[in-house]
Amino acid sequence: MWTIFKKELKTYFLSPIGYISIGIFMIIYSIFFYLTTIASGSVDMGNLYYATARYGLLLMVPLLTMRMFSEERKNGTEQLLLTSPRSVTSIVLGKFFAAVVVILITLILSLIYSVIVSFFGNVNIPTVLATILGFLLVAMAAISIGMLASSITENQIISAIITIVVFVAPWFLVDMSSIFSSIDLIDKFMKFPYGLISVSDVVSLISITVMCVLITIVLIKRRKAVK
Amino acid sequence: MIEVKNVTKKYGSTIAVNDISFDVKDGEVVGFLGPNGAGKSTTMNMITGFIEPTKGQIIINGNDISKKPRKAKKQIGYMPENVPLYYELTAKEFISYMAELKLVKRSERKKEVEKVIEEAGLQNVKNKLIRNLSRGYKQRVSLAGALVGNPDVIILDEPTVGLDPKQITEIRSLIKELGKKHTVILSTHILSEVSQICERVIIINKGQIIAVDTPENLEKATKEKNGISVIVEDPKGNMNKIKDRIKEIDEVQFVKDNEDGTKQYVITTSSDVDLRKKLFEVLPKEEIVIFELKKTETTLEDAFIKLIDTTKIEDNVDKKKASKDKAKKEDKAESKSKDKKQKNSKKEEKK
Repeated sequence: MWTIFKKELKTYFLSPIGYISIGIFMIIYSIFFYLTTIASGSVDMGNLYYATARYGLLLMVPLLTMRMFSEERKNGTEQLLLTSPRSVTSIVLGKFFAAVVVILITLILSLIYSVIVSFFGNVNIPTVLATILGFLLVAMAAISIGMLASSITENQIISAIITIVVFVAPWFLVDMSSIFSSIDLIDKFMKFPYGLISVSDVVSLISITVMCVLITIVLIKRRKAVK
Repeated sequence: MIEVKNVTKKYGSTIAVNDISFDVKDGEVVGFLGPNGAGKSTTMNMITGFIEPTKGQIIINGNDISKKPRKAKKQIGYMPENVPLYYELTAKEFISYMAELKLVKRSERKKEVEKVIEEAGLQNVKNKLIRNLSRGYKQRVSLAGALVGNPDVIILDEPTVGLDPKQITEIRSLIKELGKKHTVILSTHILSEVSQICERVIIINKGQIIAVDTPENLEKATKEKNGISVIVEDPKGNMNKIKDRIKEIDEVQFVKDNEDGTKQYVITTSSDVDLRKKLFEVLPKEEIVIFELKKTETTLEDAFIKLIDTTKIEDNVDKKKASKDKAKKEDKAESKSKDKKQKNSKKEEKK
């Protein structure tokens, strides 16, 4: 897993994708920083992370995940991976954690804003930590969904579109019925910025992640037999 | 040693590889030969564990590729068709990534990568991005990726496609060199390649093995007639009489008119007599001037085409048989239904 993780992480920063996705994230984060804290004169950063999770992840995650397996399949490099003695599980997990680490890097970058804010008021550190934890969990669930989308098509654009649709669809579906609010990923992040770590949210985010990772592994293994 | 036992691969209802079995011994260089779409790549992909056979078993040095993939795959270096590479890496980065993937120990990795770079002749380009390398070098990087970790078995899928003649000879000599230390399986549809490099040839067509032998034996086996090719100037048209003058001749076959007024013929004989001497004596007497006279040699190319054609003919025969059977059945069915109708009509008439 470590081998694939290292190479994937390196690839993010050898190609512009790593920088672009971090850049987009920081732009969105900065815009909301202005809107939610500076413009309103508040030191509460909860809304900031909530808004960034909703719009930042929407753009950043597909960028990170669309090439994961689609590109390998299209270029045939999937053959190199799958004929190596490495297991499918270690390949999938290596790729997954590489994307998670890119998000982690952006989260650490985003902490600079908290430091700035702390000069002007009291920042509640446990709340910030809970927010970061929640954000990471949401990001992991989002990445696992994007990764699953990437493993079913060799077209990167289609994989990105599938991911975005899965993220955005609940926004509109909520208008049809409130049942759909439960499938909105970001909804499960709502309580974290208030410093509330709800067990049900944590469990559902982790189970979404584990489920998508497992399905990806199974799909790739199955393709061996069908292909 | 590689054992392929009764392996079948189906895609839906189409059969890509149909119940093939063969062995490859240690240190052997085996060529996998067949027209496009014969099932070469499918077979190689199954040996390397990239895809799973629908039926059958593949064993690499005692390890079943489906049951003990880690052990089996560790012993294989694979260079897939179309040389897939990570274009954003440099040649050296790619090779050391492959070394890591193949579980080469950290302490040996650097040395191993350098060794392979040397072997594949990549010294000058090792720090260049693969994206910027020429096709020939890309091919070498891919080959180096297959060699790294010193696997027992090296599998090369069409290693010389898309190279210029100089690169082809270079890669071939490299493969020959590899054959001294490793077991090599390579697929190709270039026949001269096989006769140059391989000790044994497996000819595959439409997913079935149609011949397994040495290149020499295959050439011999398909050679049936003694042929002599002559180029002559024959102003009086006496070539037709030659057959009467020399009894051993089976056939005098006209091949073509050359631009300089000479004509080319192929003279065949079934016996083991060497006709060349007699032709030299007889032709001048008939006022035919000999420009060139040589024994025709069957090449692997002929063997290949012949073998593939025979399978086609067999297929056709089978199909014809099948259609005849069908026709017969239909006839019977028709006659039966006619009988019934007649009976029915008779019944109606009675009524």
